[in-house]
Amino acid sequence: MSPCRKWYKQDILVLMALERETIPQESVIRVRNVYKSYGKLKAVQGLSFDVPRSFCYGFLGPNGAGKTTTMNMIYGRTLRDRHGDSSIEIFGYDPARQELEIKSLCGVVPQENNLDVELDVRKNLMIYSKFYGLSSREAERRIDELLDFMELTDKKDSRIRELSGGMKRRLLIARALLNKPRLLILDEPTTGLDPQVRHLIWNKLRRLKTAGTTILLTTHYMEEAFQLADQILIINQGKKLLEGNPQELLEQYMERYVLEVRNLEATSMFQEIIRLTDIRQDRFHDTLLLYADNIDSLREAARELDPKDYYQRQTNLEDLFLKLTGRELYEHQ
Amino acid sequence: MNTSRNMSALGLQGKAPPLYRRLYSVWYRHMRVYTKNLITNGFPPFLEPLIFLAAIGVGLGRFITDMSGLAYLPFLGSGLLVTAAMFTAAFECSYGTFIRLEFDKAYDGMISAPITVGNLFVGEILWCGTKGFFFTFAVLSVMSAFGVLSFMGCILAPIVGSLTGALFASLSLLVTSFIKDINQFNFYFTGFISPMFFFSGVVFSLDNLSPALQRMSEILPLTHAVRLVRAVCFHDWDPLQLLDLAYMIAVIFISGFFAVRRLRKKLIS
Repeated sequence: MSPCRKWYKQDILVLMALERETIPQESVIRVRNVYKSYGKLKAVQGLSFDVPRSFCYGFLGPNGAGKTTTMNMIYGRTLRDRHGDSSIEIFGYDPARQELEIKSLCGVVPQENNLDVELDVRKNLMIYSKFYGLSSREAERRIDELLDFMELTDKKDSRIRELSGGMKRRLLIARALLNKPRLLILDEPTTGLDPQVRHLIWNKLRRLKTAGTTILLTTHYMEEAFQLADQILIINQGKKLLEGNPQELLEQYMERYVLEVRNLEATSMFQEIIRLTDIRQDRFHDTLLLYADNIDSLREAARELDPKDYYQRQTNLEDLFLKLTGRELYEHQ
Repeated sequence: MNTSRNMSALGLQGKAPPLYRRLYSVWYRHMRVYTKNLITNGFPPFLEPLIFLAAIGVGLGRFITDMSGLAYLPFLGSGLLVTAAMFTAAFECSYGTFIRLEFDKAYDGMISAPITVGNLFVGEILWCGTKGFFFTFAVLSVMSAFGVLSFMGCILAPIVGSLTGALFASLSLLVTSFIKDINQFNFYFTGFISPMFFFSGVVFSLDNLSPALQRMSEILPLTHAVRLVRAVCFHDWDPLQLLDLAYMIAVIFISGFFAVRRLRKKLIS
């Protein structure tokens, strides 16, 4: 390649990068004051949020919090309640009236596996390629690409029954990517999978995001939210509790360290002492949790204890989540 | 307008495939699943008429010389052309649909793609029309191989089979929309489909029934399919056949309309 050609190519890259910067960050998803009830059950109550382009946005919440309901409302699978000022816009389209336009720009990975068990891996993808209107030649090429991307090429002729849970999930993701979606919706993408597959999926999702795909996911793995999401929305009983960048939320709302003390009977003396300090405490069954920004004060407190009765660590998203949503179980959990 | 502003900024426009391609894609899905087991799925349509021919036709038929001016074997054989289409469509859109809806969750995936619930079930009815065509064709092949019916004489019968398939597809979809437990289909088959087989003029002529029963059999959709297919096979046309045709088409549209409406509520909450 001549030097001139090379320069030209680099310029194009710079220009493209600039262009990306200058495009205003329009919201791919814009949800305003949305409600959904099933009879007496209020699944979603006045939820609003925005998801900018190329963002990974995570819904966090206990089972029955309204995560899946909200997700389903985005692609027209569930219809929001009629409510004066509520609205949903996905790429500017309203899912209540323009489900086809939205679905042609989206890929959906469901919580439950719904592959066609009678067909092999390739045919499963072939069938869906027709739903997206791909010609057979385009479909063949795209399927090869996706099998390669999700590391399933070896399994292309396997029957669905022969696949492991992780392979099925990867195939579901591949299926959702057939139409090169601009918005990928995933409902608990790694629930029940082993750490290897989970990390593989996270890695792939990060690559998709870098390539410009907007990602919306629900999870109750805090680690997943922390690893992937630029922004999280913690919901409980259909209402927004907190929204923001996971790291920032953690810094803002949680102490940095926690000391978990078990075997409380043997440490009753200890509890008396702690009560006098400014360390924040929380009790859950027979565990005492002590939070502080200063690790030394926790170390000091722990000195009295038998090492097998305590565990000291950094706080994480799960602590924040439990702080916000409480530790008790609700009826619908 | 908000929509155009957003789209221009993102440079994105959602474009779903046109209606005919969406319907074709649903049809294609069913065709692919059906032909996956071509031997096990494709064999019974040829075997069943053979069994009927041997048991009823040759066994019972020996005692019957004439049925409404026809020899018994062609009478029965022509009726079986459409009952095969009826059974396959009724099973496909009852047990088959229910399993896809409740157990396999196949529809969940399909309507995440750019397909509406209406497209989904219209595509399914079209697929059953195709199956009806194929099953009638299979019965016709057997019947003509044994000299019961003339293949060329009945060449249009598969079209009636296709219509019959679509009819029982949309009727069965409507039934499925009411079903809560898969065992409830027993009522549909023992209470409706099986009696219809006997009271629609397939195995015996309706002329000898009491007027009350005759009138009742006019309500049964299969009666009209049988009359139409006999007209097609024996070139015995009567303007009344237009009413048969109209009745079948009306049932397809009316039950199809309500089936889609009710099933939509099951899929979209």
